[in-house]
Amino acid sequence: MRRRKMSETRELDFAEAIREAIRQEMLRDKTVFVMGEDVGKFGGIFGCTKGLQEEFGEQRVRDTPISETAIVGAAVGAAVTGMHPIAELEFMDFIGCCMDQVFNQMAKIRYMFGGSMKVPVVLRTPCGSRYPVACGAAHHSQSLEAWFMHVPGLKVATPSTPYDAKGLLISAIRGEDPTLFVEHKLLYYAKRMPRLREPYPTLIGKVPEEPYVIPFGKADIKRPGEDITLVATMMMIHKALRVAEDLSKKGISVEVVDPRTLVPLDKQTIISSVKKTGKVIVASEDARTGGVAAEIATVIMEEAFDYLDAPVRRVSALDVPIPYAPVLESTVVPQERHITEAVLELVEPK
Amino acid sequence: MEEGLVAKWLKHEGDTVSEGEALCEVETEKTTDEIQAPASGTLLKIVHEAGKAVPVNAVIAVIGSPGEDISYIAELSAAPSPAVALPTERPEVTRVPAAEAEPLAERVRISPSARRLARERGIDISRIKGTGPGGRIVAEDILKAAEIPKAVPSAEGYKSTSLAGHRKVIADRLSLSARTAVHVPITMEVDMTSAAKLKADREMAGAEISYNDLIIKVVAKALEEFPRVNTMLLGDELRTMDEVNVGLAVGLEDDLLVPVVKNANRLSLAEISKTANTLIEKARSHALTTKEMSGGTFTISNLGMYEVDLFAPVINPPETAILGVGRIVQKPVVVEGSVAIKPVTTLTLVFDHRVVDGVLAAKFLQRVKQLLESAQKLAA
Amino acid sequence: MLRIRRFEEKLAEESAQGNIPGLLHLYVGEEAVAVGACSALRKEDYITSTHRGHGHCIAKGGDLRKMMAELFAKETGYCKGRGGSMHIAAPEIGIVGCSAIAGAGIPIAAGVGLSIQMRKTDQVCLSFFGDGASNTGAFHEGMNMAALWQLPVIYVLENNRYAISVPAARSTKLANIADRATAYGMASTVIDGMDVLSVYDAVSKAVERARRGEGPTLVECKTYRFRGHHEGDPKRGETYRSREEIEEWEKRDAIVRLGDRLIKEKKATQTELDAISQETLREIDDAVAFAKQSPAPKPEDATSNLFVS
Repeated sequence: MRRRKMSETRELDFAEAIREAIRQEMLRDKTVFVMGEDVGKFGGIFGCTKGLQEEFGEQRVRDTPISETAIVGAAVGAAVTGMHPIAELEFMDFIGCCMDQVFNQMAKIRYMFGGSMKVPVVLRTPCGSRYPVACGAAHHSQSLEAWFMHVPGLKVATPSTPYDAKGLLISAIRGEDPTLFVEHKLLYYAKRMPRLREPYPTLIGKVPEEPYVIPFGKADIKRPGEDITLVATMMMIHKALRVAEDLSKKGISVEVVDPRTLVPLDKQTIISSVKKTGKVIVASEDARTGGVAAEIATVIMEEAFDYLDAPVRRVSALDVPIPYAPVLESTVVPQERHITEAVLELVEPK
Repeated sequence: MEEGLVAKWLKHEGDTVSEGEALCEVETEKTTDEIQAPASGTLLKIVHEAGKAVPVNAVIAVIGSPGEDISYIAELSAAPSPAVALPTERPEVTRVPAAEAEPLAERVRISPSARRLARERGIDISRIKGTGPGGRIVAEDILKAAEIPKAVPSAEGYKSTSLAGHRKVIADRLSLSARTAVHVPITMEVDMTSAAKLKADREMAGAEISYNDLIIKVVAKALEEFPRVNTMLLGDELRTMDEVNVGLAVGLEDDLLVPVVKNANRLSLAEISKTANTLIEKARSHALTTKEMSGGTFTISNLGMYEVDLFAPVINPPETAILGVGRIVQKPVVVEGSVAIKPVTTLTLVFDHRVVDGVLAAKFLQRVKQLLESAQKLAA
Repeated sequence: MLRIRRFEEKLAEESAQGNIPGLLHLYVGEEAVAVGACSALRKEDYITSTHRGHGHCIAKGGDLRKMMAELFAKETGYCKGRGGSMHIAAPEIGIVGCSAIAGAGIPIAAGVGLSIQMRKTDQVCLSFFGDGASNTGAFHEGMNMAALWQLPVIYVLENNRYAISVPAARSTKLANIADRATAYGMASTVIDGMDVLSVYDAVSKAVERARRGEGPTLVECKTYRFRGHHEGDPKRGETYRSREEIEEWEKRDAIVRLGDRLIKEKKATQTELDAISQETLREIDDAVAFAKQSPAPKPEDATSNLFVS
């Protein structure tokens, strides 16, 4: 894992890293602008655009009505005529309201028009369960990125750390391709919530002050290991790291691989890891059937078949809407114990 | 749409028709539509009657002047143009590597990784008991079974036991090696004067080494220089390995283990000595891990301590060669016309002639001899 | 208008012979709207269009050869054969794109207007859509946003009275869909879409308003398509429209009307009009020949141009 030299040793959380990325890109390029519900005056309900409207004005940091179709549609129209919009969908759960603009317009314009146009829209949206901090229930807790892995023409980023978030967001803005930038909402809170920070110190991290890019399609080995590969996304990375730390005391060495982007997917890093360990678990917070883990597991099966010493296991959410009661939510949404259980099925402690 | 059905004729042969008038109704996959007369005239012939399926672009009727000769037109009910053959190659389809056919695989529960390892090491999986879930054979099981057989001394007296378990595995592997590899032994005598001196010097300095350590070091260097000998043959694939991992055969009471000194070419003589000692110790106390016994690219077997002068061991598949070391013995040799007494050992390199030819094998062994005969020049 | 008419008729012919792989939605009868509206635009202005977009693209200055080649699925088409009839785009002449999804162009046009406003140019964006699309959520959201932010957009609603087979009269209570503009605080007007000069007039006014920064206008054009919804629509749509109705509207053919008027006002002679007609036929034949001779796209290029990087 190569990191830029840290010009400062300040630590940021996810929301701060995202805000910094947006701000720096808006300073660099006047065609970059932000639009979405509550992004302007309020600074975004998770604080990701705090202070930006004061700095850049209402034209470039725009509050919109509740009109997802118009938010994404207008972003598309602006993007094909020279602008670089960063559109925000307040919760990923709302993406159903504007699906046509996302998968039929944003994703397809470049290809179906023979490459004569580009659609540099970055569509940012928060996903995921907020357990144990809050209870979002069925319409504010979903992870739907698998749907968009399935749409040819869209890039999908799923950063897990502040360092990754800033680098990937800048990459997305400069990349000129329509990108779904998925942000797990638990990641935002860490600085403001000690009871998140303590169990998950990795939610906060060092972030270089200057702008930098992390290329899409480049996974990151968050923790090297020998006995088993654990591929995980977003919040599951932090759960995986905790599990890996605990299991290391039992003599099990877990290698934690973070794809960082689902489209394009860094198959090579994942496959190399599987070839080394022979055993792999794919952990993703979305529902099991047809989820992110299903696609990654199939790729592993296809390309590392002869190196598998055991079937590929998935750790995902149960196939039900996310329930309200905390005891139910923590059963449905995969937690550390589910990962640990899966590892111990495949590897024996020494 | 490739064909339509003429549902109903609205005009008859002999009728006068005007341009634009409806002639018949045609049913397609989706709808029923009217066909209009493209010109005025007499409907001379109806080629396809109602109720008939007609291919697209076929002539269904003829309009002309009464008495006109239309006999040539029957040939015009042409078949539709052949469909363009679409290529079946699609770019970017993941090519799934074809699994090789297993001769005796029926119903053996085995992981893909174990299957591959068994194939590479020539192990018959029907003889292995699996320790994985549901009795599945897993990689560990294969690696444990993959050890070097050496020439088995004939049993004494008569006591009946069946050739089973680990011994059976060794027997099978030996047979496979003998059957498939083309074993060619070449032999060289090596003057161990320099080697003996080096050993003595090290002893004096308190950093003891054994002849085996020295031979490992020297062989590793030679393998670096002759990568073809550091090669595995797997089916039809020659794999020249990046690492030089030298296995050392360790004989126990009724077992034979081959721990591997990894990256021997990158270790100093002292490091090799330390590593080899640890491994031998572990071998003797049956504490070697599978990892420590796997990954070998070349094997050394030394029977010198049992007064064997020279022997041609069996290659450890899928390696390409094995070095048999005999005892060091004081021998008269001719040096510049006169007889001198020197400590001499006989090295036998058995190589697989499918992979390496005689000249290369000889050069390799020559190099080993050269390095041993100037052992004192070896860097620490 | 003649060019559009002949182009579409030629397509019908070629399609009947099996030379066009996809569905065709022809613009025959509605030419006055496209021509009247696009004549009020400059080359650097934008339009968004629909599944029935050949007329819009030709009126905006589309090259007939490239359009024909696109319909024939050739590499030399505007979209290299990737888009087809319903997805033509030509950014160099401001054709932002045709979408087959009814209403999708409406918020996209708002976005183009937003881009113009932020870049501070005096361009405008014109969005064509039909009576059917006016009932979608995208219409509501796009119109509201355009009005709210006073974007330089002209929304041209081509009310041809039918969305495939469902009459507008059975899709909304409003006789004039343009009444909806009031709900958004947007200006609007209703005009005779069969008269090219009326269309030109109304759209020009809307364009000027937009250029002055006074915001969007909804221009509803009452028009009619003489052929079915798509080629292959049985009896040219007579399963849901009466032949009398079709013939009534055909009598108001915009091309015939304009021709008659030019002759009456002595602005052109019949000879001149015939010459234009011949010229148009020649252009179309040339376009068809170009398309037929052009190469098809290569299968090995099937996945190219998905991403920029």
